[in-house]
Amino acid sequence: MDFSGIFSALFNIIGSPYNMFLLLLAVPIGMFFGAVPGLGGKLGVVMVIPFVFGMEPISGAIFLISMHAVVHTAGSVPSILFGVPGTGAEAATIVDGLPMNKKGEAGRAMGAALGASGLGGVIGALFLLAVLPVLRPVILAFSPAEFFLLAIFGITFIAMLSGNSLIKGLLVGFFGLMVAFINLDPNTGIERYTFGMYFLWDGVDIITAILAIFAIPEMIALGVEGGAMAMKDKHAKAGYKGVIQGLMDVVKNWGLAVRTSIIGAFIGMIPGLGGDAATWICYGHAIQTSKDPESFGKGNVRGVIAPETANNSKEGGSLLPTLFFAVPGSSGMAILLGAFVMLGIQPGPSMAITGMDIVWTLIWTLMIANVVAVGMFLLFVPLFGYLSYVRGSLLIPFVFTLTFLGSFLGHRAWENLIILTVLGIFGYFLKKYSWPRAPFVIGLILGPIAEDSYHKAMMLWGPEFLLRPGALTMITLIVLSIGIYSWRMYKKSKQTDEANHSVS
Amino acid sequence: MFLNILRTGRVLTALIMFLIFLSMTILAMGYTDAAALMPLMIGIPGTILGLVQLVMEYRVAKRELAIEPDDSEIPKLKLERKNEIQMILWMVIFFIGLLSFGFTYASPILVFSFLYIGKKESLTISIISSVCTLLVIYGFFIQTLQIPLFNGLIVEWLFD
Repeated sequence: MDFSGIFSALFNIIGSPYNMFLLLLAVPIGMFFGAVPGLGGKLGVVMVIPFVFGMEPISGAIFLISMHAVVHTAGSVPSILFGVPGTGAEAATIVDGLPMNKKGEAGRAMGAALGASGLGGVIGALFLLAVLPVLRPVILAFSPAEFFLLAIFGITFIAMLSGNSLIKGLLVGFFGLMVAFINLDPNTGIERYTFGMYFLWDGVDIITAILAIFAIPEMIALGVEGGAMAMKDKHAKAGYKGVIQGLMDVVKNWGLAVRTSIIGAFIGMIPGLGGDAATWICYGHAIQTSKDPESFGKGNVRGVIAPETANNSKEGGSLLPTLFFAVPGSSGMAILLGAFVMLGIQPGPSMAITGMDIVWTLIWTLMIANVVAVGMFLLFVPLFGYLSYVRGSLLIPFVFTLTFLGSFLGHRAWENLIILTVLGIFGYFLKKYSWPRAPFVIGLILGPIAEDSYHKAMMLWGPEFLLRPGALTMITLIVLSIGIYSWRMYKKSKQTDEANHSVS
Repeated sequence: MFLNILRTGRVLTALIMFLIFLSMTILAMGYTDAAALMPLMIGIPGTILGLVQLVMEYRVAKRELAIEPDDSEIPKLKLERKNEIQMILWMVIFFIGLLSFGFTYASPILVFSFLYIGKKESLTISIISSVCTLLVIYGFFIQTLQIPLFNGLIVEWLFD
C-alpha cells in the first residue's frame, strides 16, 4: 500500500487553506439540504454544480463529496423533532427518535443521531479503504438472486416491528408493499392501479408516502391533544446534558454502531439496492440483537443509533462502484458521477492505476467532513432541542406547509398533494388505533427491489436461482435471523410467565 | 347496534384496510400473470388477514360500546372528537388552498388563518408567522434557491 500517497492526500486537504475552506463551506450547505424535507442531497449537488464547474478537479470533488457526505447528519433533526423525514432513509430514525422526543429526550436522541452519523461516516470511509483490494469479486458476487433474498431478509423485519399486534404489523407492511406495486410494471409495462393517471407510472413518491404516514398523523394528533411535542418538564433533558448523554449512548453501544456501519457501507456498495434499504435492515438488526426488542418503537436509543450509522456509512460504500466501475451505487452517486466527469475526473477501472490520489483524497474528505459536521452541529443541537417545547399550535401550520412542500418537491407533481392528504388522514387513524406504521415503509422501499429482482432472477436462472451459493447463504441468514429472534422471544415470554407465576 | 359498532373509528379503519386489500386483489386478477404475481402473493394473504383483523376489531368495539362511559369522561371524549374533526378539516383546507392558489399565495394566508381563526392566537403572532412563511417560501425557495413552486390550479388557469 502506498502510504506516502495516502498521507499526502490528507495533507492536500488540511494543508491547503483553500480546500479546507471549501470543505467547511460545503458541510453546512449539505446539512441544510438534508434537513429541509423534499430538498435532499441530490438537489443540493445539482444546485452547486454550476459553482464548482471550472474549479480544480480535486477541489471541486472535495466540495461535492463534503456536501454529499453530511446530508443525512442533519436529516435526523426534523425526523426526531416533528416526525418529518428529510429523505426516505431518515424515516427509520422517526420510529424511536420521535417517541424519545415525546419523552423529553430530544437532546439525547439528537446527540445519539449525531454521534452515530459521525461514526458511521468515518467507518464508511474506512470500509472503503479496507475493501479496495477485494472490491471486484465482492460486487460481482451480488446478482438479482441475492438482491431478491436480501429484500426478503428486510421484509421479514416487518414481523419484528409489529410490536404487540403481529396481524396489524403484517397488514401495514403488506399495505406498503401493495402501494409499491402502483406503477407501470417494470417487467411487462402494464399499468397497475394507476387508473390512467400518468403521475403514478413511476410509482407513488416515497417521500410523499412517508410524510403522509408519519408527519401528518403526528401533527393532527398534536392539534387534537394540544400542548407541545414533548410533554415533560422544560429542563428535563434539554441542552448539552441530553446531547452528551446521547453521544455517550453511541460509545456504550459501540458494538452495534460498528456493526451497523459496516452493514450500511456494504449495502451502499451494492449498486441498485438503494441506500434506503440499508437503514431499515440495520434498524431490524438492532431489534434482532436487542435483549428487549419490545422497547423498540417506544423510544429505544439503539433504534436511533442503528439507522443513523447506516445512513452515513452507506455513502462511503456507494462511492466504491461509482469511482472504480463508473456504476453509481445510488441515485445521489449518479449525480455525483456526472459532476465528477464535468470536473475532469474520469471514474472507471483506470482510477486504480492513475487516479489513486483522488481516491485517497475523497476517502479523507469523507472522514473529515463527517467529523466537522458533528462539531458544527454540536453547537446548534441544544437549541433545536428546545423546539420540541414550542406550543403545538404554532408549529402545526409550518409543519403542514413544509410537509406539503416536501411532497410537491419530491416529483414536482401537484397530484402528490392528493396522496399526502388522503394517506395522511388514514395514517392518523392508524396511529390512533395503535397500528404500527414503521412496517409500511419497509414494504414500500423493499417491495419494488424484491419484485424486480425476482423477475430478473427467474428469467436468468429459473427457480434454480435459489440454489446459487450466494442465495443459499442469504437463505441461511434469513432462517437463522428468524430462528434466533423467535427463540429470544420465546425465552422472554417464558421468563415473563415464570415471573407472573411467582408473583401470583 | 351493528351499525353503531361499524361506525366506530377502529372498525372503520380495519374495514378500510380490508377493502383496500380486497379491491387491489380483485384488480390484480385482471393483469397478466407476470404483472399480477406479486400483487396477488401479497393481496390474498392481506385480504384474509384484513378480514381476521376486522372481526377482532368488531369484537373489541362491541365490548367497548357495551360499557357505559363514565360521566366525567363524556366531555373529554366530546372535546377530543371536536378537535379531531377540526384538525382534519384544517388539513383539508390546507390541501384545497395550496392546490388552488399554490404555495406563494396560499401558504401565508393559511398559516395566518390557522393561527388567528383556528387557534385564537394573537394578531401579532399570526401576522409575524404569516410574513415568516412568505419569506421562506418566496424569499428562500423561489428567489434564493430558484426552485419553481406550484402556483395553484386556479392561479395557473387565471393567468394562463
